[in-house]
Amino acid sequence: MTYARPCGDFKTSYAQDMALLDTRLYRWGFALLLAGALVAPWVLGRWIFLLNDIAIFAIAATGLSLVMGFGGQVSLGHAAFMAVGAYTSWFATTELKLPFVVALPLSGLVAFVVGAVVGLPSLRIKGLYLAIATLAFQFLVEYVIVQTVSGMGGTPVPPLDLFGAPVNTEARFWYLALAVWLAGAVFATNLTRTRVGLALMAVRDRDYAAQVLGVDLLYYKALAFALGAAYAGVAGSLFAHYNRVIGAEHFSLAQSIDFLAMVVIGGLGSVWGPHLGAAFVRTLTQLSKIGAPLLAASIPMLGRATTSMRDIVFGLVLIGVLVWEPGGLATLFRKLKRYVDLWPFPH
Amino acid sequence: MTAAFVLEGVVVGLAVGSIYALIAVGFTVLYKSTKILNLAHGELVLFGGYLAVAVTSALTSLPLPLAFAAGVAVTLLAAAVLGFGVERAVMRPLFGQPLLSVIIVTLALGYVIRGIMVGIWSGETKTFPPVIPPTVVRVAGVPVSLVGVWSAAAAAVLLTSFSLFFRYSRWGIAMRAAANEQLTASTLGVSLKRVFAYAWAFAAAAGAVGGILLGLWLGVNFALAAVGLKALAAVILGGLDSVPGAILGGLLVGVVETVLGGYIDAHVRVFGHTLHGFKEVTAYLVILVVLMVRPYGLFGTEHIERL
Repeated sequence: MTYARPCGDFKTSYAQDMALLDTRLYRWGFALLLAGALVAPWVLGRWIFLLNDIAIFAIAATGLSLVMGFGGQVSLGHAAFMAVGAYTSWFATTELKLPFVVALPLSGLVAFVVGAVVGLPSLRIKGLYLAIATLAFQFLVEYVIVQTVSGMGGTPVPPLDLFGAPVNTEARFWYLALAVWLAGAVFATNLTRTRVGLALMAVRDRDYAAQVLGVDLLYYKALAFALGAAYAGVAGSLFAHYNRVIGAEHFSLAQSIDFLAMVVIGGLGSVWGPHLGAAFVRTLTQLSKIGAPLLAASIPMLGRATTSMRDIVFGLVLIGVLVWEPGGLATLFRKLKRYVDLWPFPH
Repeated sequence: MTAAFVLEGVVVGLAVGSIYALIAVGFTVLYKSTKILNLAHGELVLFGGYLAVAVTSALTSLPLPLAFAAGVAVTLLAAAVLGFGVERAVMRPLFGQPLLSVIIVTLALGYVIRGIMVGIWSGETKTFPPVIPPTVVRVAGVPVSLVGVWSAAAAAVLLTSFSLFFRYSRWGIAMRAAANEQLTASTLGVSLKRVFAYAWAFAAAAGAVGGILLGLWLGVNFALAAVGLKALAAVILGGLDSVPGAILGGLLVGVVETVLGGYIDAHVRVFGHTLHGFKEVTAYLVILVVLMVRPYGLFGTEHIERL
C-alpha cells in the first residue's frame, strides 16, 4: 500500500465511512504526529516554548475558523474574546481563589456568553457592517482593559497548578496545552459534521436558502460567535497562566488581525486550516523576533528596518495567499497529496 | 455642560470634523466605485503625514512655505502613485473575489505599508517645521489654534473642489456612472479598470491630505492611523455610499467626539474614577449605535433585506 489513498472507494461499513482518519496512512501519520508531540520536550529542549505558543494560538484560531470558515461571519475582534477569557481566569484564580481546572472552563463559558451577545447584531447586519461592528467591539474591550484592570501596564497572573501539582515548566505546560488543544480540535472537527456544523455551513453558503430549509438564523449565527468566543476564552485562560502577565497589548487589534491571518493562511473551511495557520504565523512571529536582531547585526545597513520585517513579510504572505491560493495551506497540502497519489500520471 | 463648553466643543469639533470628512470622502469614493471597504485607509493617512514631514524638513534650502508646498505636491503625487500601484498589483487580481478576502487583503496591505513606514521613519512622532505660526485666533468668541482654522479652510476648499470634480469633469462623471451601475457604465464605454484605478488614487490622495492637515495640527505619529479608522465612524454614520453623508458624518463625529467625549472625559466619574481617553472611543460607540439603529446610515442606500 504505497498510495496515500487507494483508487476507488473501498469503505464497506458506516463506521469506516464516518472515521475521522479513514486510511491507514492517516492513522499512522496521526499516531506518529502524536508520538512526536509527546516526546517533543526531549527533542526540542528549550525550543518547546514555540509549541506552547502555537498550541495556545491554534486553540483560539480553531474558534475563529468556526465563526469564519464554517459560519461565514467576519470577526475582527477575536483577540477581544481571548481577553475576556484571560481576565476571567485571572479573576477566578486570584479574587475567587478557584482552582485552574474550574477557571479554565469558566473562562470558556464567560467568553461563550459574551460571544453570543456580540453575535446578536449579526442577525441585523452582515458582511462589511458586521466586520466594522466587531472592530468597534475590539476597540471598546481594549479601552475597558486599560481603564479598569490593567492600565497601560500588565496584570500579574498566578502560576497554575493542576490538583496541587505545579505546572511551572515549559514541558509540563506543553502536556496541558496539548491535551486542551487535542480535545478542542477533535470537538471542532466533529462539530462540523453534526447538525450544528451543517447548519452553519448552510448559513455561510446562502442565508436565505438556509432559512427556507428551516435553519434558525438567529440561533446559529449567535451560536457560531459564541462557540468561537468560547475557544478564544479557553486559549485566553491558558495564555494568561502561561505568560503570567496580561495587558491590553496582548489582545490588541493587531492580534485580532493575526488570528484572521492564521485562519486565512491555513485555509478557510478546513479543519486542519487553523492549526497549520497558527503554526505558520506563530513560527514566523517568533523567528522574526529572534532573527531581526541577528539580521540587523549581520547586515548593519538594514538597521532598524528589520524591526518591522515581520509585519511586511506577514502582510505579503497574506496577500500572496489570497491572490494565488485562496484555499490556504490546507488546499496546498491537498494538491500535494493528489500529486503524490497520481504520480507519475498528471491526472 | 455649560453653553460656553458646548460652543467651544462645536467650533473645535467642526475643525477636526472637517478633516475627518476629508478622509471619509476618500473612503466613500472608493467604496462607491469599487465596493471595497479599505481598512488600510488609516495607513494611507499616516503615509501622507510622514512623507510630507520628511520632504518638508529635507528641503531646508528653500523658504519654509515653498518647502511645505513642495512637500504637499510630492506627497499627493506619491499617494496617487501608491493608489494606482495598489489597485494594479493587489486589487485587480482579486476582482470578483468574496468580500471577506478583499477586506483581509486591505488589512494585510495596511500591515505592509505600516511595516515599511516603521522601517523608514521608526514610528517616532514627527512634527512639521512651523509652517503656520502657533497663534490662537478667536472664532465666534472661541479660542482656536490658527492651524485648526487653516486645516478647516483647506478641507472646505478641497471638499468643494472634489464635489465640482465629480459633478462636471469627464472622469468624475465616469466614476459616478460606474458607482451607480457598473455594468451599464461599462457598456456605455466607461473603462471600469481605469475608474477603479482612479478611485484608488483619489482615495489615497484624500487620505494623504487628511494626514498632512492632522499632522500640522497634532504631529505625525502612529496614532494617526487610528484617526484614519475614526473616519470609518463618519462613513458609517453618513451612509457608506453617500459623499454628502460622509462630509456630514465627519463633521458630526468631530462635534460629538469633542463635546460628548470631552465632557465625559472631564466630568463623568465611574466608581470615583475619571474616564481618561473616553474621547478616543466615542467614535466607535457611534459606530455601534448607528449599526444597531440605522445600519445604512443617514443617507446611504437602504438595502431592503429580510433576515
